[in-house]
Amino acid sequence: MSKLATAEADRSPSGWKIIWREIVRDKVAFASFLFLGLIIVFVYGISLVLDQKQIVTVDLFSLYKPPSAEFWLGTDYGGRDVFGQLIIGTRNSLSIGIIVTLMTGIIGILIGLLSGYFGGSVDNVFMRFVDFFMILPTLMIVIAFVTAVPKYSIISFSLIMTAFLWMGIARLIRSKALQERELDYIQASRTLGSSHLKIMFTQLLPNLSSIIIVTMTLNLAANIGLESGLSFLGFGFPESTPSLGTLVSYARNPQTLESRWWIWLPASVLILVLMLSINNVGQALKRATDARQRKG
Amino acid sequence: MALLDIKDLKVHFPIRGGLFGRAVGEVKAVDGVSLSIEQGSTYGLVGESGSGKTTTGRAIIGLNAITSGRVMFEGKDLNEGGKRSLLNARRDVQMIFQDPYSSLNPKKRVIDIVAEPLRNFERLSAQEEKRRVRELLEQVGLSAETIYKYPHEFSGGQRQRIGIARAIALKPKLIIADEPVSALDVSVQAQVLNFMQDIQKELNLTYLFISHDLGIIRHMCDHIGIMYKGRHVEQGTTSDIFHNPQHIYTKRLLAAIPDIDPTEREKQRQFRAAVKAEYDQAYRDYFDEEGLAYSLRPISSTHLVALPGKGG
Amino acid sequence: MWKTIVRRIFIMIPQLFLLSILVFLLAKAMPGDALTGLVDPSLDPAALEAQRERLGLNDPWHVQYWNWMIHALQGDFGQSFRFKMPVSELIGQRIFNTIWLSVATLILTYLIAIPLGITSGRYNDTWADRLITGYTYLGFAAPLFIFGLVMLWLFGFHFDWFPTGGSVKPGVEPGTAAYVFSKIYHLLLPALSMALITTVTTVQLLRSEIIDTKQRDFILTARAKGASESRVYNRHILRNSLLPIAAFFGYEITGLIGGTVFIESIFSYPGMGQLFLSSISLRDFSVVTALVLLYGLASILGALISDLILSIVDPRIRIK
Repeated sequence: MSKLATAEADRSPSGWKIIWREIVRDKVAFASFLFLGLIIVFVYGISLVLDQKQIVTVDLFSLYKPPSAEFWLGTDYGGRDVFGQLIIGTRNSLSIGIIVTLMTGIIGILIGLLSGYFGGSVDNVFMRFVDFFMILPTLMIVIAFVTAVPKYSIISFSLIMTAFLWMGIARLIRSKALQERELDYIQASRTLGSSHLKIMFTQLLPNLSSIIIVTMTLNLAANIGLESGLSFLGFGFPESTPSLGTLVSYARNPQTLESRWWIWLPASVLILVLMLSINNVGQALKRATDARQRKG
Repeated sequence: MALLDIKDLKVHFPIRGGLFGRAVGEVKAVDGVSLSIEQGSTYGLVGESGSGKTTTGRAIIGLNAITSGRVMFEGKDLNEGGKRSLLNARRDVQMIFQDPYSSLNPKKRVIDIVAEPLRNFERLSAQEEKRRVRELLEQVGLSAETIYKYPHEFSGGQRQRIGIARAIALKPKLIIADEPVSALDVSVQAQVLNFMQDIQKELNLTYLFISHDLGIIRHMCDHIGIMYKGRHVEQGTTSDIFHNPQHIYTKRLLAAIPDIDPTEREKQRQFRAAVKAEYDQAYRDYFDEEGLAYSLRPISSTHLVALPGKGG
Repeated sequence: MWKTIVRRIFIMIPQLFLLSILVFLLAKAMPGDALTGLVDPSLDPAALEAQRERLGLNDPWHVQYWNWMIHALQGDFGQSFRFKMPVSELIGQRIFNTIWLSVATLILTYLIAIPLGITSGRYNDTWADRLITGYTYLGFAAPLFIFGLVMLWLFGFHFDWFPTGGSVKPGVEPGTAAYVFSKIYHLLLPALSMALITTVTTVQLLRSEIIDTKQRDFILTARAKGASESRVYNRHILRNSLLPIAAFFGYEITGLIGGTVFIESIFSYPGMGQLFLSSISLRDFSVVTALVLLYGLASILGALISDLILSIVDPRIRIK
């Protein structure tokens, strides 16, 4: 095992170096990358210091306060500090986005690899399964599950999201694996006595790594969007665990939408900027993995 | 006893179609091939593309499922005894692939590529493994310094040498070489072929050499089998085939070998035309109603030809 | 061709069956049952139990599923306890609003996508292309619900150009021209908000298709033969580039399903999405299950349409 690990460490630079070089060369992507890094450090750092209980506690004496020195971004209908909620909301949205992206990634990669590598009837069975999940009206089913689950928590929320979002990456990995397995190096591995599992994970998977990274990055943006959308509709996090979507959802009150911009606009802008930045990094990664599009 | 003995090998692939993707027919890629190879010799399998020569090689090593027939290696049936005997046989039977570009994993370093079979069958320490890989690379004429390089840093000929190093890592007895030089520049082909002959002597290897190039086959092989539409049309020693071809298909293949002497050009052309006329005229005599070759019949102790049986 | 259709429909049947089971089990898993809201809470528990028995709510689940399925196939989804009316009737009132919204969105999507995509692809790397690419770049990242909110804020409240809710002005007599105009007027802002976001992928696709096709050999041949520039574009490039867009149509339908839920909620537009959200909040589950089933059906049909268009456009994937 350790031998394998050092081998991985020794050989990695080539691919990663290209990717890193591509991001640094692309100024927009590099700025986005730095911005994301800063946001993550900032949000996770500050939320360690912030008293979450105090932020989500209703304070009837300071309802709908506009921004001031005390409340940087004012307060909401419960007199709660919007800035604090923004920090915690960003942290929660990012966390669930990352968790869901990783979990859907793992499931999608496993099913895609099995399906594409073995092909034939294994592929048929898995793909019928994927087809079924694809035709489900995801948004409604997730909302229905969210209301049906008795003990609703962040874990069950991310599990529900994962259960209905793994198909895209599974399909992609499957189609790439189907192409790749026709190449002689896979056949060669078999003649050299490697087991199917070993070939799948040590021969095939490294050749799909770049596409996996690109897809997961773009999925991260999509998942954050979906989570904040669900929270916006009121079927994401409970209100005591604010998400960026929770703050935007206060704008469903026409008065808030019309005249209390400080509650919903910062969260909306932050969601947009986060999505743009993640997409920028994702597009740069995509270029890095496609030699024809490389900048240099 | 022959090292490898194949009896009536058949490999059929289903054709799927219709509403529910059921098998509606089959392609008889290999349809009753028998051959045997002596230890230390080279057997050449020749034929046009689609003749089933590659499928035969792949079936022997287990990449294609065998429909029927027997593959005996050192007297043991590779199909019997389940996975274990197949795995053990794999140590002794290795393959060199046609395309040196796709047969090496682009994400792996040379050391990982060459050491893959060692890691599967031998428990070596990292130091021993590195030493073995260095030895193997030197054996195939590559610098031992290259072990941390990636395949894309090598030329086609060098890549094929890496492929050979990987194939001989387990000291196999039989190597199936599937068009090992046809993807290489002509200038490099001879180098690799001569090197393959050197290494054969050194390691007492047996080759099953698959090619469509009769010139290469003549250079490399002791015995030759000519395949057409999944069946043998003629089988014999190199001299049997080249000096005494019996089957019309063999004759036509031989006539197609280019001659480099420009003064003979017109003679060659006429000869080819004559063979073609004979081929067209005699086609019905040499092939059955489906256009397939008949079963092989011996015409000498080493020479077999697919001729129609008397009265059957 | 017909084989493709038959096979696709064969695939649909198990999908529909699985979907109905999933929806049914989901309904069963939700807290409460059809009686919870229907009956007077002061009723005697024994009488309630008798009622349950009579309605078959104590039967094993597969029996209940069978009964439910038989009724659903006849368009009977039970009663909505909130509105005290049959679910099918309730949905019947809303479904057309959602269909109008979807149709308007689709029309706007293509009205925007085709000129923008063609301009962007034909004159790539000009300022017009850069402007359009910039728009698609932002639109690709912007979540629909945020964009919808901003549109409502700007054009509904701030400028007061459009109504901020409903599907028609109250009190207008149905059937009159004023009624139709009011409907369209109410539809415009929600549909435009959704179209401006959904059109982005189509614009991007069309642009890259045109740029790709421009460099293909048969276009060079057409030019070499002396075809005029407009002929090259209208007859050769567009014809080839619009095919993938057509194939994308089915996916647009599937995409609309999620989109309408957000848009209807933001613009208080009385369609199926809004009904779905309010029913689920009020635990009116007979409505919820019927709606999920309908949305699933729409999604299956969307997938069917896109596959069929794809097989017409690309003969390689047809089943022989």
